[in-house]
Amino acid sequence: MFVAFTAAALTLALYMPFCAKVIDPAAPPSSDEIRRLWEPPEALAERDLFYGPWGPERAPDPALTYTLVERKHTGVNPGMTVRDSLGHEWSVKQAPPEGQPPEGPIEVLVSRVLSAIGYHQPPVYFLREFTLADDWGTRREPGGRFRLKDGSLKDRGTWSWQEGPLVGTRPYQGLLVVLLLLNSSDLKNANNTLYEHQRAGGTELWYVVRDLGTALGSTGRLAPRRGDAAAFARQPFITGTAGGFVQFGYRGWHQELVRGRITPADVAWAADLLSRIADRQWDEAFRAGGFTAAASAPFRDVIKRRLNEAANLGAAGRANEGQ
Amino acid sequence: MRSINVAALTGSFALAAALALAPRAAVAQEAEAPPNPAPVVEGMLPEPHFLTRAIDFATRTAGDGSGEKSGFYPEIGSMVTGAGWISGGGGYRQWIGGDRMVFDASAAMSWRSYKMAHASFEFTKLLRSRLALGTEVRWQDYMQNPYFGAGPGTIETGRSEYRLTSLDTVGYARLRPTQWLTLGASGGWLRRPTIDLPAGTFRSDTPATRELFPLESVFAIAEQPSYVHNEVSVTADTRDHRSHPLSGGVYRTAWTRYWARDLAAFSFQRFEAEGAHFMSTANSRFTFAVRGWLAATDTAEGASVPFYLMPSLGGSNTLRAYSNYRFHDRHLAVVNVETRLALMTHVDLAVFADAGNVAARLADLNLDKTSFGVGLRLHTEKATFGRLDVAHGKEGWRVMFNTSDPLHLSRLSRRTAAVPFVP
Repeated sequence: MFVAFTAAALTLALYMPFCAKVIDPAAPPSSDEIRRLWEPPEALAERDLFYGPWGPERAPDPALTYTLVERKHTGVNPGMTVRDSLGHEWSVKQAPPEGQPPEGPIEVLVSRVLSAIGYHQPPVYFLREFTLADDWGTRREPGGRFRLKDGSLKDRGTWSWQEGPLVGTRPYQGLLVVLLLLNSSDLKNANNTLYEHQRAGGTELWYVVRDLGTALGSTGRLAPRRGDAAAFARQPFITGTAGGFVQFGYRGWHQELVRGRITPADVAWAADLLSRIADRQWDEAFRAGGFTAAASAPFRDVIKRRLNEAANLGAAGRANEGQ
Repeated sequence: MRSINVAALTGSFALAAALALAPRAAVAQEAEAPPNPAPVVEGMLPEPHFLTRAIDFATRTAGDGSGEKSGFYPEIGSMVTGAGWISGGGGYRQWIGGDRMVFDASAAMSWRSYKMAHASFEFTKLLRSRLALGTEVRWQDYMQNPYFGAGPGTIETGRSEYRLTSLDTVGYARLRPTQWLTLGASGGWLRRPTIDLPAGTFRSDTPATRELFPLESVFAIAEQPSYVHNEVSVTADTRDHRSHPLSGGVYRTAWTRYWARDLAAFSFQRFEAEGAHFMSTANSRFTFAVRGWLAATDTAEGASVPFYLMPSLGGSNTLRAYSNYRFHDRHLAVVNVETRLALMTHVDLAVFADAGNVAARLADLNLDKTSFGVGLRLHTEKATFGRLDVAHGKEGWRVMFNTSDPLHLSRLSRRTAAVPFVP
């Protein structure tokens, strides 16, 4: 009886995450609603991808001392909330144990890429180390991703990949393509944050994908590799087309977002946006995440190759439409 | 009965530990250099990729056991020694007000139907993190606890079993003048433990303790006494990781008093001194560990110690070639020596030797019971979560699988009374 009960409980616990949710698009959104997710990037070529859309004025100062507010009690990475001497609060995500590649550098890089092409992002930066003060004294502490708790952004919960007015729109599809191109393996709703953003003319809602650190490696369900250039190069991006939809090498959770839903035109749209990021800006984005030129080179090679694949697919798609 | 000068022993042990472990350099006024991230210990052999990924997955999903995460967690491997090869359950932990308070509750059931439930609440950061105050209540129902009789001369075939149910409530305080030194004090109420016939799943034909040892003093009374228990302790801990240490040491001394509220003949006090030290060489590929543990019990003239609270020895954390709880008596001493070689990043090969004994008089303690063996350890950077040991001693071979490090002292984190005394 005990064994049967245990087996049943384990089976149920293991089965639950495999249940694919149903994609449920609502009525077509207005352009205002689309702007909650994406805005056409103006003057993309002039954008600073080192400091990102929030600029150097909001970046953490490595010379300051940061006071511990509390240790991080959620998620899989260690971290903490700290307050700098100017009163700003930061969420710090540090490197995990076991010598696994840290998420922080990848998260900052991917955030810079998304914000460059028009997707909203919170203010995130990377500090390799910082000075921490807590009840036991002051010491140097390994750094990581610093996300500013900015007064203009209010967290209003999560949004769903499967439901809502944005599902199926071109920016939504394009966002998925960009994440697939970067082998982001964490397409879960818990990483989607709905922000209320206060700007001069009032407030607006932002649909933001954050916690982007599980990328640039292999995709997978149980233990995807991140920040692994060899694994990133090994796993295919696009494996073909079928029934008018693109097939991807993506092996992570929520295949329902990917299978039979993304067209060559979606891929071409995303590739066109990404191709407008100049080499100098890619340098800046990688440097923003703390990557050296040598460390970033193999990732950039793969990204370039994947962009070519996407562009070729888009061109073939357009040719087919022309016929 | 030999009287133990507890205060003197406690004080001298604490002083020795403090002198041995005091930081060599004064605290710097400026920020210290950032700690280098701990290097990954490379084993002698390349590790299969699936193993590395499985451990990565387990660490990411189940945590590293540090207790820093809020939310639900699996309660695995926390059951008492002898509960069966596996146990499982669930727990919920919630940090409140930043890091200032933590609530924790869990329940688990084991292979042999042992059951436990506990809840605790702690103020963690009083006096700028120097003081913690908390309370805990623990219920447990242990089904097949072994008892072979008292004394070092008992025979293996004289095994009996009993079921022990208890409910204990404690309040405790921990004072940490430095990050490595903890002064602890606790007081609790152990409500009449019940001794019953053994029960639970996968039970053998072992006779009940009441049948095999009817002359044990606890069977002369209708109900077991309730106990008020107090403990003071000093712990110095410089280990790098608690469940898979490569360097540093932990030294602990404790004095515990049990007042039987309605039967003074069962009141007693216990002194414990324990130390473990770990040293690594060759880029942490080779680790040498040594542990010693002394527990001594004192009673008034004519008083006795219930057998389930009597120090016991034997099993996977002490004398590994002997059964769990193989020996009971008023005093125990044990020494363990273990060397670990990093075969792979997450797999160690261990060679160990254990020696110890129990005695009715402190002067009669010796290390005559020995065991030797080898084992494999599966671990993350911070914690051992599986081990397979094969040990040999005078009572033959013994193979055991456990989910914790053999020198991981559960006594360090325990706050409720040890019922039964766990070796």
